[in-house]
Amino acid sequence: MKILVVAERKGTELRRVTLELAAKAKELGDASVVEIVGERYSPLPFVSALARKVEADSPDLVLLGATLNGRDLGARLAARLGRAYAADVTGLQASGGSLEVERPMYAGKVRAKVRVPLPAVVTTRPGSMPLKNGVAAPEVAKIESDTAVEKLTFVKFAAVASGGKRVSLAEARIVVSGGRGLKGPENWSLVEQLADALGGAVGASRAVTDAGWRPNEEQVGQTGKTVTPDLYVALGISGAIQHLAGMTSSKVIVAVNKDPDADIFKVADYGVVADVFEFVPAFTEAVKKVRST
Amino acid sequence: MKILIPLKQVPDSTVRVKVGADGKSIATEGITWSISPYDEYAIEMALERKDADPSTVVAVVTVGPARSRDALRQALAMGCDEASIVIADQAAAPLALARALAKVVEESKPDLVLCGKQASDDDQGFVGPALAEVLGWPHVATITKAVPADGGVELWREVEGGHEVWKAPLPALATVHKSEKEPRYPSLPGIMKAKKKEIAERAFSDLAVDPAGPAPEVLSMEPPPARGGGKILKDGDPKHLAEQLATALRDEAKVL
Repeated sequence: MKILVVAERKGTELRRVTLELAAKAKELGDASVVEIVGERYSPLPFVSALARKVEADSPDLVLLGATLNGRDLGARLAARLGRAYAADVTGLQASGGSLEVERPMYAGKVRAKVRVPLPAVVTTRPGSMPLKNGVAAPEVAKIESDTAVEKLTFVKFAAVASGGKRVSLAEARIVVSGGRGLKGPENWSLVEQLADALGGAVGASRAVTDAGWRPNEEQVGQTGKTVTPDLYVALGISGAIQHLAGMTSSKVIVAVNKDPDADIFKVADYGVVADVFEFVPAFTEAVKKVRST
Repeated sequence: MKILIPLKQVPDSTVRVKVGADGKSIATEGITWSISPYDEYAIEMALERKDADPSTVVAVVTVGPARSRDALRQALAMGCDEASIVIADQAAAPLALARALAKVVEESKPDLVLCGKQASDDDQGFVGPALAEVLGWPHVATITKAVPADGGVELWREVEGGHEVWKAPLPALATVHKSEKEPRYPSLPGIMKAKKKEIAERAFSDLAVDPAGPAPEVLSMEPPPARGGGKILKDGDPKHLAEQLATALRDEAKVL
């Protein structure tokens, strides 16, 4: 099988999902990696450049990370080329003349095995493909984004005050999320300090983003982000079904809640029945201690 | 300005989804159906435009089985002006669905099409960008705000660390991640008015769209692996519990 991986960078570094895909593609067959170079992602110029590359190389499979931009680019590319499309897959194997993928459906409430006819475009969820430590960066061919076909005008970038220096939520190996139990945005330093001690990203429940305590981009759950980190820590989150849909595929789940009957404990590997305001500072210190010894 | 929202009826987000007897679809008996959450955000975004400028016309359309009429009725009750349904008892191939919607768009001539970023059943997120592609329109994905601007519309897109603001000429399409406010509930007068409104109806076959196209095929479904049986730590002073947990995460779970 011939596979084309579409690379994505954060800053100057290739995203981890690109490395995951390059490794997976190698395992599946004849793999190459391409990066579309442009000032910033925009669908028409990127699709145009990539479609031309795909038509020239005719790979059986185009693989992209299921990132914000990857999912958009993949969908429009598949439509342009009339290829089959599967988004956000968490497992992938060749099966006869087609592809068999695993993907969550119904907001993570169901896992499906899906046959995808070739040629296809597939996006994979960051963190879902195994990646060995110290794997060498793949060779990346560069193509220019086709700015001549642009119909949009970029106006500005409006930065939000928070975040920025932390790892992005969707790709983080450790996520610490806060819920209504934190009682207010002024207490978020508790969540942030623990996230920093763990080297993780910060998330929030929908109640918290709806109340405007935290930006929407931090929301974990059905109408927010779905995360699959190695460690998910839920602080003061009751565990509504919509929140659980976004995080139950995490490898290890820790929940801290005052209410011993909170639904979050039903999915937790480690549940701590305690007041977050008493427990979290002590836990942050304990994490620092075990990580330094 | 005319805004068209293609919507999909899906199991309500509070439904505990179960796998059906065939092992490759969900059990639908007795479940509550609703407008897909991101489509609801798209409707709310359009209605916020209408609040600001009452000359705005908000239309909704769906391609789906007859039960989807209820979702359109719900949208009308929220305050949408027009609704139409294309009856398709069997799911069309994804690209055929985009082609069918493109026909509706060409007839209805909206200035702006707002699609939810993905339907919360298949979670593919294909139809929005595919519809823009079939129409040959530009699109902006996963927006949280749409503001009319001189000769076009400014579309705010949430990215890591902030928002990108793009200006699109009209007509344009955007997929919606969130609206500024939570989707409104239908008001009682809204529900009464919605009952009287006509929902235009036709069959998928009347659109003369080829229903074929490359389509993923679900082979099997299963619930996510059960979790639980976790360790519960309680009844100790916070410092002791914290040390116990940190040690367990390092030595047992091996995630630190």
